[in-house]
Amino acid sequence: MIITVLVFGRYKDFAGKDQINLDISIGNTLRDVVDAFVKVYPAAEKDKSRMMVTKNKMYASYDAIVSNGDEITLSPPVVSGG
Amino acid sequence: MNLERYRRQILVKEFGQRGQETLSKKNIVIIGGGGLGSNSANIFVRMGIGTIDIIDKDTIDITNLHRTSLFTQEDVGKSKALILEERLHAINPEAHIRGINQKITKENIESFVKNADVIVDGTDSVSLRHLINNVSLHYNIPWVYAGVYETVGMIMGVLPQKTPCFQCISQNIPESIPGEIPVLGSLPATIASIQCNETIKLLLGKPLAGLIIYDVWDQCFDVMNIKRNPDCPVCGKK
Repeated sequence: MIITVLVFGRYKDFAGKDQINLDISIGNTLRDVVDAFVKVYPAAEKDKSRMMVTKNKMYASYDAIVSNGDEITLSPPVVSGG
Repeated sequence: MNLERYRRQILVKEFGQRGQETLSKKNIVIIGGGGLGSNSANIFVRMGIGTIDIIDKDTIDITNLHRTSLFTQEDVGKSKALILEERLHAINPEAHIRGINQKITKENIESFVKNADVIVDGTDSVSLRHLINNVSLHYNIPWVYAGVYETVGMIMGVLPQKTPCFQCISQNIPESIPGEIPVLGSLPATIASIQCNETIKLLLGKPLAGLIIYDVWDQCFDVMNIKRNPDCPVCGKK
């Protein structure tokens, strides 16, 4: 299934646009979405385990199942320097 | 209050004399007096916040000077909080400024923030931000998170039980990033400025923007509207 993912921050630069389409299988999780994103944009590899992922405008666990029509966003991890 | 001092700010229609008078009665607590905290303190005192407490146990290091405000090379080795108190008082003697040279802990945070109208994040620690988040939720005190890394900053105001809390957006991040955090010198001032705007909006009862992500190198500015997580272990329904 093809899902549309909104991307924020430097991920927008990686993609050259603010939304991308990713091909994932039915029953896949948000972790699979992250993996698919990193596969296409390897520059995001270092964020792989910390990426901020939302599903339908809500922060979601990487184990959450993705369904057709879900609004998925990917953004860089929360930063902590001061 | 000397209104003439704020004449140009009072002309701003979103703000006005009413906004100015409101700020003069407000009390904010800034936790951390480094890149973010020194810059935000500098802005707040000039804008006319009535009472500002700045809490930081650290001393000024030569490596702080590229991204901080108000410190000079002669201040290296001195208390960040006490130097800020001195400089902020000189900028605006009408403001009540208190530099507190202490380390924030789970045991003492309540005593420092319980009278705050807003807590302002100037820390560089994820665990301390979780502590601020917990006390904010417990005592219903809004706070404004901000963080910086390389050329990217993030800001999010938290209105307890109304907007997502820090835990809602940070479940996957580790307690701290090992080693020194790289930060472009211009970044904290920019991010602190946005953080101040969100704080002022909280103080005036205006709606918050959401999670703001700004890359100052690429000039890429995003606002994410995230909902509260009903299963959040801190702000979700128990």
